[in-house]
Amino acid sequence: MGFIDTTRMLVLLAFRNLFSHRVKTAIVGMIMLFGTLLVVMGTALVDSIERAMEQSITASLAGHLQVYSAKGKDQLALFGGGFMGADDIGRIDDFSKVQDALSKVANVEAVVPMGLEGATVTAPGELEGALERLRVAVRANDKAPLATLQAQIKELLQQMKEERKVSLTITTDTKDLNEQIAKLDEGLSDALWARFEEDPLAVLEFLDTQVAPLAEEGRLMYFRYLGTDVDLFVQHFDRFEVVKGERIPPHTRGFMFSERFYERVVKHRIARYMDRVNESLHEEDLTIADDAGLQSLIRRSARQHRYITYQLDAKESAQLTDELKALLPEVQGGLPELLAEFLTVTDENFDARYAWFYAHVAPMLEMYAIDVGDTMTVRSYTKSGFLKALNIKLFGVYRFKGLESSDLASGTNLMDMLTFRELYGLMTDAKKAELSAIKDEVGLKDVAAEDAEAAFFGEGAGEVVARVDAEGFDEFADVKLARTETVAVDRTFTQSEVDHGMALNAAVVLKDRTRIKASMIEVEQALKDAGLDMKVVDWRTASGLVGQFVLLIRAVLYIAIFIIFVVALVIINNSMVMATMERTTEIGTMRAIGAQRRLVLNMFMLETMMLGVLAGAVGAGLGAGLTTWLGAVGLPAPNRQLIFLFGGPRLFPEVGASNLVAGLVVIIVVSLISTLYPAFIATRISPVAAMRTEE
Amino acid sequence: MRAMPAIVQLQGVHKDYPLGNLVVRALRGVDLTFDKGEFTTVAGPSGSGKTTLLNLVGCVDTATRGTVTVDGASTSALKESKLTELRLRKLGFIFQSFNLIGVLNLFQNVEFPLLLQGGLTKGERESRVRDIVDKVGLTEQMKQRPNELSGGQRQRVAIARALVTRPSIVLADEPTANLDSGTGNAIIDLMKHLNETEHTTFIFSTHDSRVMSRASRIVQLVDGKVVDDGHGHRTGAAAVAPLAEA
Ligand SMILES: Nc1ncnc2c1ncn2[C@@H]1O[C@H](COP(=O)(O)OP(=O)(O)O)[C@@H](O)[C@H]1O
Ligand SMILES: [Mg+2]
Repeated sequence: MGFIDTTRMLVLLAFRNLFSHRVKTAIVGMIMLFGTLLVVMGTALVDSIERAMEQSITASLAGHLQVYSAKGKDQLALFGGGFMGADDIGRIDDFSKVQDALSKVANVEAVVPMGLEGATVTAPGELEGALERLRVAVRANDKAPLATLQAQIKELLQQMKEERKVSLTITTDTKDLNEQIAKLDEGLSDALWARFEEDPLAVLEFLDTQVAPLAEEGRLMYFRYLGTDVDLFVQHFDRFEVVKGERIPPHTRGFMFSERFYERVVKHRIARYMDRVNESLHEEDLTIADDAGLQSLIRRSARQHRYITYQLDAKESAQLTDELKALLPEVQGGLPELLAEFLTVTDENFDARYAWFYAHVAPMLEMYAIDVGDTMTVRSYTKSGFLKALNIKLFGVYRFKGLESSDLASGTNLMDMLTFRELYGLMTDAKKAELSAIKDEVGLKDVAAEDAEAAFFGEGAGEVVARVDAEGFDEFADVKLARTETVAVDRTFTQSEVDHGMALNAAVVLKDRTRIKASMIEVEQALKDAGLDMKVVDWRTASGLVGQFVLLIRAVLYIAIFIIFVVALVIINNSMVMATMERTTEIGTMRAIGAQRRLVLNMFMLETMMLGVLAGAVGAGLGAGLTTWLGAVGLPAPNRQLIFLFGGPRLFPEVGASNLVAGLVVIIVVSLISTLYPAFIATRISPVAAMRTEE
Repeated sequence: MRAMPAIVQLQGVHKDYPLGNLVVRALRGVDLTFDKGEFTTVAGPSGSGKTTLLNLVGCVDTATRGTVTVDGASTSALKESKLTELRLRKLGFIFQSFNLIGVLNLFQNVEFPLLLQGGLTKGERESRVRDIVDKVGLTEQMKQRPNELSGGQRQRVAIARALVTRPSIVLADEPTANLDSGTGNAIIDLMKHLNETEHTTFIFSTHDSRVMSRASRIVQLVDGKVVDDGHGHRTGAAAVAPLAEA
């Protein structure tokens, strides 16, 4: 009873004191309010990012758990591994054993075999591409595109001839150039094309062997791919969505580009350049006027109008020339000058030109070096040191919903498991035997690479021989073997073939995602029971550095909170010390008339605590309100990297009870700590102080 | 020796204050006895040791040498919390600058020591407060804050606060120093009246000879020594003037 009354009196005293020192109370209260707001909003945001990122990671590549061999030397890092997937994470020799073992764990929904590797694909050069199209048309006996293709090829040859004529004027060694010009003239001659009518294959042969080598080489593209059981993958990674073409059909060999890679790498050079400028202006908020990098990009690209003109036939050229003349009446000259001017964009005209490009120019171009439905030749170094080339059909382009513009989640292309294994290059027993036989036969050790190719495949007519520049592959510089194999692109396989084979890692998708920790233990046990020596990691660990990123954000937030509260602590402490000095007589009086030291201590603690609780409650309320508001409108991701962390283009943060509790606990603790010292000083005030008169 | 039992006793009391390298000898061997119900003034010029003496009696400070016994307890033997308890239970204080708690109103100021003491119901506290406030004549101002009261009113609130716990001894260090003489006299008269009606022992200090003359016993201090300890000319309640508005 007495205690309650005393407390009530102290509360009243505290209120009155807070009120009578309004300015001090307001300043300290504001600091406390914003501190709590920061804690509530900050932790709510980080928690939300963590949830969103968990979504991004689990629904795109990782699943909830990842299982891989304990024998691997490196840690699995789905998003942060070596560029060419060079990390050694060991391998699962027979995936079905893992699958069988894990099917016994109740919370496991699916086990998806995986393998991440890197390879190259060469986009055909301009002439090469045109010749390929011509060959396809000839084979298909399709007369329609012949005229256009002929015109394109002639245009290219003409350009090549012009280039060489220019070279003639600046070099003394004219013999080679003159020979080349002679070949190009032959390619341009009416006689040749007249012969084409009767014997197209002979003409193609001439162009392929005599003229094509004079042209620029094709573009080498590096890409990362995920080999997986595509059926399972599509079923259980629900962010997967087809953008173009179709998904790789069940039990079929094939390939899919990720939208991001397709747009950024495979797309037509000039279109990519336009996209890049567009992104710089609208996403990165750069201006051409101020950005030297953009200016140089624009200068370079404006000179590359050839990438447009060579794809146009006469009719298209004329049409585009007319349209550009209407658009740019001041420009003198033909299509090249018009395009050069058109591509020299400025901040003012870019948006209009960008739209114009896609409306008028793009439809005339082949927009992608490799189109859906095409067969492409993928090259990769196998684990046994071969340079392997495989033909795969591109079925379509896919993306992960909401993560389409994130480079991290959407850079990985997709491949069926069997093709993956072949590129990975594990040799079957039969192949091993074959190889050693050949080795014995040719005494391989001292055979040069070309000889080895010949030794292996000299007899294989019609097969493409890999001739990939060894640059960038130093670790394989001593590779003595190269091997190319053509695979019937529409070959199918059985589920058993997928299951009973190698994988590098396996994604485990859980039914109840809240039970990750417990399920991890169950999965580990199940693998152990099955006698498998495996590592099990959760999505965060499996994702590599990215997964740790939230921890980094959290650390930064905690440090920021810590700093703010240290500042708050100092300010509160100082103002309370000052208040103590001011109130010396009052405290002395209380002590003189019988108040114990403890009461003085309580009085001070109570005062800051009440302010802390009050300001904290308002701050937490504001924080919760703001977060909820952000959750309703969505917080836009300021850049592409954050899209991944935000789980999409916008983060929809939610505030939880834990955030509010954290905010209040922190502010109360800080209030108490900051008052400890001044309150202690107050207890040391002697009752004698009450007797002193300030005269 | 005396008719009434002693409530405060000082024997050979010395009090030294360190002041840099020097020592200020504020009290130099004081022997005094205060009886229950006495109305005593400690008089003397400024710096003579009045406040020091009252601090020792009031248990807010302890003697350097000698013994101070308050209500049977030797203060030098008590630890800080016990001294505080003693102040709370047995003593009342009236200060020169009134020392009311600015953020509390009159009622709350007077109630404060009762809350510290504990043990009374809200109702009991309220009647005790009303009773004493009535006696100091401030019933009308019950809800007012100290800054809304005049100096004399404030000191009367302080008197009420000192007496509300029914202490054995009330100590007042120059209670009239901050008041004009008329008001000061009225305060002394009020104290005297309460001394007679409540039988509370009062010890107050002053350096004002007119105030001095109203006490029944005058202890004269000079340079930390008692030079005179005599009983005044006027004694008894008859001399007390009616309660004047201060
Ligand atoms: N805390 C202290 N420190 C040093 N000297 C003090 C202190 N308190 C009082 N004194 C000195 O002790 C002497 C007595 O002072 P005090 O008791 O206040 O006298 P009075 O109340 O009669 O004016 C004075 O000389 C005073 O300066
Ligand atoms: Mg004094």
